[in-house]
Amino acid sequence: MNRMRLTQQEADPIGGIAAAPIVTMGAVVAMALSLALTISHWHEVVSPVAAVTALALVGAAGIIAAVAAAPSRAPFTTERLWLVVTLAVGAAIAEYVSTVGNDRIVYDDFGPIVIGALILVLAPFCTWRSLLLAGVLASVVLSVLVIGSPNTVEPSAPLPALVAVNCAAVLSMSAAAAGYSYAIIDETLAWQRQANRAALHHDAELRAGIARSVQQSRVSVLGREVLPFLAGVMTADRISVTDADRARELAEALRRALKAGLESTWLDDLAANLQLARDIDVVVDDAMGLAAELGDDQRAALSALVSWLAEGDRAVEIRVGISSDGIARRIAVAAVAGASPPSRRDLDRFAAVARAVAMRADVAITRENVAVEFSHVPG
Amino acid sequence: MTLGLPGHLARDSLSRSLVHAGHCAAWVCLGVTAVVGASSGAVDGDPVGWLRAIIAVGLALLLGLVARYPTVTLTLLYLAAGSAAILGLAMVVMEAGSRFENTNNLVLALPMTALLLVGGAGSGSAIAITWAAFGYALGEAAAFLGSTLVGSEWAPNAAAATALTLVVLIRALDGISRRSDQRRKTGLHRASQQTRELAIRHDYELRATARLHDTALSHLVAIAAAGSGPVDERLRIGIRQDLGLIVGRDWAVDHTPLEVGRGRHDRPLALGGRRAAGIDGRMPDPAGSAAAVGAGARTFEAAYTAAANAGLRLRVTGDESALAALGPTRAEALDAAVAQCLVNVARHAGVDEAELAVGLGGGEVTVAVMDSGAGFDEREVPEDRIGLRTSIRARIENEGGAVRLWSTKGIGTTIVLTVPEGGE
Repeated sequence: MNRMRLTQQEADPIGGIAAAPIVTMGAVVAMALSLALTISHWHEVVSPVAAVTALALVGAAGIIAAVAAAPSRAPFTTERLWLVVTLAVGAAIAEYVSTVGNDRIVYDDFGPIVIGALILVLAPFCTWRSLLLAGVLASVVLSVLVIGSPNTVEPSAPLPALVAVNCAAVLSMSAAAAGYSYAIIDETLAWQRQANRAALHHDAELRAGIARSVQQSRVSVLGREVLPFLAGVMTADRISVTDADRARELAEALRRALKAGLESTWLDDLAANLQLARDIDVVVDDAMGLAAELGDDQRAALSALVSWLAEGDRAVEIRVGISSDGIARRIAVAAVAGASPPSRRDLDRFAAVARAVAMRADVAITRENVAVEFSHVPG
Repeated sequence: MTLGLPGHLARDSLSRSLVHAGHCAAWVCLGVTAVVGASSGAVDGDPVGWLRAIIAVGLALLLGLVARYPTVTLTLLYLAAGSAAILGLAMVVMEAGSRFENTNNLVLALPMTALLLVGGAGSGSAIAITWAAFGYALGEAAAFLGSTLVGSEWAPNAAAATALTLVVLIRALDGISRRSDQRRKTGLHRASQQTRELAIRHDYELRATARLHDTALSHLVAIAAAGSGPVDERLRIGIRQDLGLIVGRDWAVDHTPLEVGRGRHDRPLALGGRRAAGIDGRMPDPAGSAAAVGAGARTFEAAYTAAANAGLRLRVTGDESALAALGPTRAEALDAAVAQCLVNVARHAGVDEAELAVGLGGGEVTVAVMDSGAGFDEREVPEDRIGLRTSIRARIENEGGAVRLWSTKGIGTTIVLTVPEGGE
């Protein structure tokens, strides 16, 4: 994984979901600030249409940011960042036009603050490079406005200072956004390296001690039956009809065990475990063993959903079907709701996690049934 | 694995990232302050401008130290130095004839914002909000004092107040969202670990079943096909050759003899810590065996000695290091029971060779002692013959194990001793 290309939403999907309300909050703050500042310097406005347009553009940028960052629309793409920033820069330009020649001080201009605030709240959804680039490019546009504004009545100051001051809000908030994005990815990757090392160690320990932990497994039980039977035959004088029948039974059991092992996957074992532990029906329909094709993270996302549905009376029956149309794989998780049925919001959390691990996810929920469908194209 | 931070790390990681974000913004604020000061010095020839730039750079470096070593002392030092800088800056920019009406201006907003973004020592939303509020209050106090000293108007700085509001809002939302504990509820890390374990177990089961299938199936099919009648000698020999593979085997582990091929076990083998002495009349060497199975491993010393004393040739197959899975007392009991089995072979079977198959699997250590001797019927063993009942069965059952015996007169005897792993 490359920290230059990763966003928090991709590396830490739950963190991305938790950050979604911050975007709405940022959009509301940006709108409120632009409205308050427009009213406070309305006497400077020379073009009310441009002023209203600026407010409308701020509103549009905020709404798009909030909608685009919603967990149901994950993952947030770079194009969405550019759309939001373009609208916000458009708002700054419209504001500039609205007070052109009559802007007493740039300090009360909302353009830079709106751009900066929106970039800041989108930090969990973008790479640190794209955030910094967005901030720098927006600052360039704002600088052009300051340089090309000979009629400003701002108290005289050196041009470099004026440009720096005018861009301070955008640059500082973009730097904060980029700094956050970089740091959270750094923290997450550091943890993941540590977790992967621990997981490998755990796997090695598990493999080493697996014979002890699966004493009651099919093969151990079968092995314990085969041994005395063969030892008995080896030291017997004759083979009886009962011996022959028993040999046939054991051979058939061995074949069945091998066939079942070959045809089943970790998903069947998960279903069996859940069925045993939770006493609910968990049925897997994966005739082609496609569950084995899922990556580790995809398995974890599916496993987390199925395990969560099986807990706390959320479902009385769960069916997991995996099918293929030749290219894409479709994973349908259908549950009959239990006494405490899950909410859409809960399921959206799992859908967002699935989207973070390269799967499309759709949630459909009624009073009686829950359906979550994942799809992906194996890499 | 890309499934993000676990709940117990999320608080500190998010807090550190937000502090880092604040520091980045503060560095830009101080950088712009330095640019404004340097521009003033270079363009207007104002020496105070250069001083402002130098102070801004100094503060940025001090903030770097706070970022590197977030201690209370350094945090307070930065806040004190920043307050002093704002005080001086307020006196300079608000002096008589200033272009600014009051302290609510961008030149003062930049260092004031940098001051409240100190981050500071500690972790968590409440501490971060406290440090930010403290920094904001100090900045405003310094601006108030500076403007008062030069007789100009003070007004709360709107930009710094907005920055504080943003910090408080973001920190508060972060704290609230973490309180809902979505990470634990989703159980991603638990699921990730579970699926890995399931995959490993599934793989184990499959390989184990396949190997048991490969080893035992042909014999079972032959028995089933033979129907009732005498045991075919080739079948008997085949089973005998493979019994060492079946006895107490850890089925998922690659057993080289299986890959070498069945029917070759009469060759001396010494493969990967497993040892099989051929039927060559030589006694297994306990010392060599100990070296082969590793330090601290146990061997059948009593059994080897008993076999040697009785003039019995012994062929050992399987994994002798399995004894290391037993506690010393249990290993000793097993060793003594095997020794008694061998003594019985020497005394009653009428042969001068025996086989020993050792294995670990299914949480048990299993030893099979086989001979092709006279055989006997256990029911016919007189009560005064205490060897089998006391020395073998009682010893093993005392350790929670089991003894199974098959014997046919004129064909031979197989005794399988099984004890659970561990023990004293």
